[in-house]
Amino acid sequence: MPVSHFSRSQATPISSRSLWFAGTAMVLALLLSSAAFFVPQVYLPWLAGIDALLVLHGVINKGNLGGLLRYILLQLLFTMVLYLAIHGGNQVGQGVMAVARILLALLPGWWLTSTVSAEAIGELLSKVMPSKWAFVIVASINLLPFMVNEAREIYQLQLLRGARISPKQLLNPRNWSELCYCVLFPLLVQLLKLAQQTATAARARHFGHKSRRTHWRPGQSENGNK
Amino acid sequence: MATNSQSRGFQLQDALFIGFCATLLVALKSMLRLRLGLSGHSMLLMSFFYLTCYCTVARVGAITACGAMAGAVAAILGVGKGGPILLVKFLAPAIAMELTLLLVQNLLTLRWRLIVVAVAGAIVWSAKGLLEDLLVGMSWQVASVRFAAKVGSGGVFATIGALLVIPVVRRLKAHDLLYRDSKIDQEL
Amino acid sequence: MRLIELDGVNFNYGSGQPWIFRDLDFRLESGSCHCITGPTGSGKSTLLQLIAGLLSRPFEGGVFRRQGLLTGLVMQDPQVQLLRQTVGAEVAFALENLALATEQMIPMVQRALRRVGLFVSLDCPISNLSLGQKYRLMMAAQLVCNPTVLLLDEPWAQLDDRGVEELIMVIRGLVADGIAVVISEHNPRSFDGLVDHFWQLADGQLKPGIYRTQHAIPLKAMSCGDEVIVDTDSFDYRFVGDSPLFSCEQPLQVRRGELVTLIGDNGAGKSSLMKSLAGIQSNTVALPIRVFGERPKAGAYGARLGLLMQRPVRQLFENSVLDEISFSLKRFELPLENAAALLQDLGLEAFAKQSPHKLSYGQQHLVALASLVCYQPQLLLLDDPMAGLDAEYFDRFCLMVNRLRERGTAVIVSSHRPLRQLPVSQQWDIADGMLTVSYALEEAYYAS
Repeated sequence: MPVSHFSRSQATPISSRSLWFAGTAMVLALLLSSAAFFVPQVYLPWLAGIDALLVLHGVINKGNLGGLLRYILLQLLFTMVLYLAIHGGNQVGQGVMAVARILLALLPGWWLTSTVSAEAIGELLSKVMPSKWAFVIVASINLLPFMVNEAREIYQLQLLRGARISPKQLLNPRNWSELCYCVLFPLLVQLLKLAQQTATAARARHFGHKSRRTHWRPGQSENGNK
Repeated sequence: MATNSQSRGFQLQDALFIGFCATLLVALKSMLRLRLGLSGHSMLLMSFFYLTCYCTVARVGAITACGAMAGAVAAILGVGKGGPILLVKFLAPAIAMELTLLLVQNLLTLRWRLIVVAVAGAIVWSAKGLLEDLLVGMSWQVASVRFAAKVGSGGVFATIGALLVIPVVRRLKAHDLLYRDSKIDQEL
Repeated sequence: MRLIELDGVNFNYGSGQPWIFRDLDFRLESGSCHCITGPTGSGKSTLLQLIAGLLSRPFEGGVFRRQGLLTGLVMQDPQVQLLRQTVGAEVAFALENLALATEQMIPMVQRALRRVGLFVSLDCPISNLSLGQKYRLMMAAQLVCNPTVLLLDEPWAQLDDRGVEELIMVIRGLVADGIAVVISEHNPRSFDGLVDHFWQLADGQLKPGIYRTQHAIPLKAMSCGDEVIVDTDSFDYRFVGDSPLFSCEQPLQVRRGELVTLIGDNGAGKSSLMKSLAGIQSNTVALPIRVFGERPKAGAYGARLGLLMQRPVRQLFENSVLDEISFSLKRFELPLENAAALLQDLGLEAFAKQSPHKLSYGQQHLVALASLVCYQPQLLLLDDPMAGLDAEYFDRFCLMVNRLRERGTAVIVSSHRPLRQLPVSQQWDIADGMLTVSYALEEAYYAS
């Protein structure tokens, strides 16, 4: 899996309008998701209608429904097998309806992630969180490509050194302790060091001096430093 | 400054470590989607990273913080299904583990304590599924079979995760990479 | 004007640990430029943190600090210091922490960027900057608070030669403005003419002068065997879905016992090529590379291949140095005596029973290399192995490489700076998207 999968693509400034959109979308997604659990059966078609609009919007925004559909099909299969085994053929409709509700509960979340940018959600969360934890989240996400790469490289290094950790060897539980010692342990050592250095770097720039921080507003392009 | 922040909350360094663990948890979960029809593998990662935080940071609240961070990071990265519900998904087992830990704090050996805590997390994680299933109108027979399956697989994975923690943290301690003298430190 | 004075400072990492500083004195005046040299792991970075007031562990001794003194510290690892996505946000981070009003920030950020000669848009993504620009960005992020002291931790190793030149220009300007600059460096000669005072940190004390070690063991020139270990057709090195990183128009061939250097700037693709040779680089297009006559596959070569990645200390995990070195011997079922013998040759036998995590950085680096050398791979790939090491370690590095080559190992070494006076059999240069091979160096070496 390419590391860039997790790196945030472009640093576009977040306008307050898109922030409002993100906030509204989040509340809407939360309401719709909960509604899928609580709404009486007669209103379900309405809910399905609203979700269909969201799906349309998400697809226009190039969202990918594949993973979600696969998950739902698996759930459907598993539930159907159980219903057939326990109740025979007569309550299958109930099972289908239940899985349909699960689908309706998941769709708003999917729509949210495919239409609202990660930065907007991050910025939104940082407004409701204590500043230290908001910083921790930003730093963690920034360092994620580095950490994933670090985990992969440590694994590869030890594999080349002869550790018994190839995918095939890991099918044998006796080799799990090797994975533990050769990969997880050095990885945690690196994470501890990384945390220490990041903390020092942040303190070198006066992080934690004031309990309330102010925020940089990305300047409009006429503020360029040319 | 160090003593000051000690009294108010986590030191920045510890908070960052918790954040890194949570982020890696979310990333690995999305990369290692074991599509074997085995639900519960996420409990392995959850119990490993949550309990690692508990053992390295060694403070009440570390697990809850890690759960909250994981939920937030998952929501930001759009990993997994469920948008805002993600927060509950990561946070509920974390809170359950934290509370269980407070209950069994002075009982059992470290190994058994971690296993009990991990299994408690798995049960709450499954209970959340049970609640959802009942709410969406599944018959209680079907819902309870699904619940039992989740508790079973989740419990096994959570226990494996817990068992992986001890050798790793013990080695950190042996190499003097943990600078602390808390109670848990002496147990390692 | 006296800014900072350290008077008889003692410091170590916990009781029973060796002293890092023992009765250390230091005095810093405004507008002066100091350079601190010393062996790897002697505590240069710790000293800078002490001066910056960022040391989180307690120390003994007197520290005088001028009232309201602000210091800025640029650390070694850009990874942990670049916390934001855009140039403007990065520089403003310190201002946010000082809770300045948003409207005040833009002029201050612009001024800091001008001071380091970085003329890019505030919205410019940091990922678009070059190595040298990123370094100056980290300086701007410190200068934005108008510190009177600026501390730079080993800038040379992070920069290419052009980056060093740009840095020297900027530092001159800062010193002229009355800022005191302290650089820690194991390559101090690059800052000649800029620095007023050179110091060497050894045995916990600062003494005037430059730390030097004698480099005594050269790499030997050796004849190569006939057996081909690596061979390729011409190829384009390209990640799936990207434009080519570099092209190689002639076939490459490495034979038994050869020493090959791979030179290129950071990001040119050296590490990726090394990983491709070891079979662990994913998401590249299929490459016509054969190692031991096969297409490289992760873990397929066993004891025949060794790869030392950058920052090799992260691969250490065993309980003792001896176990660390014997690990591969055990896994490849080779005689374990090799490990102890190698430790003795490296002069590390006293540490055999110690935890590798308690060694100094340079020693850890050597142990990581020794853990590969001891199983005598037939192909050894070393990715920038000299980074952060001084001459003392370089000797032992040469010792190990010489010994391997005597037994027919082919060694490929990458570096982001040209390695002069090495008896290489061929040099691969990656520049301007092309990999070119020169064999002339070998003849020149024999001629001299």
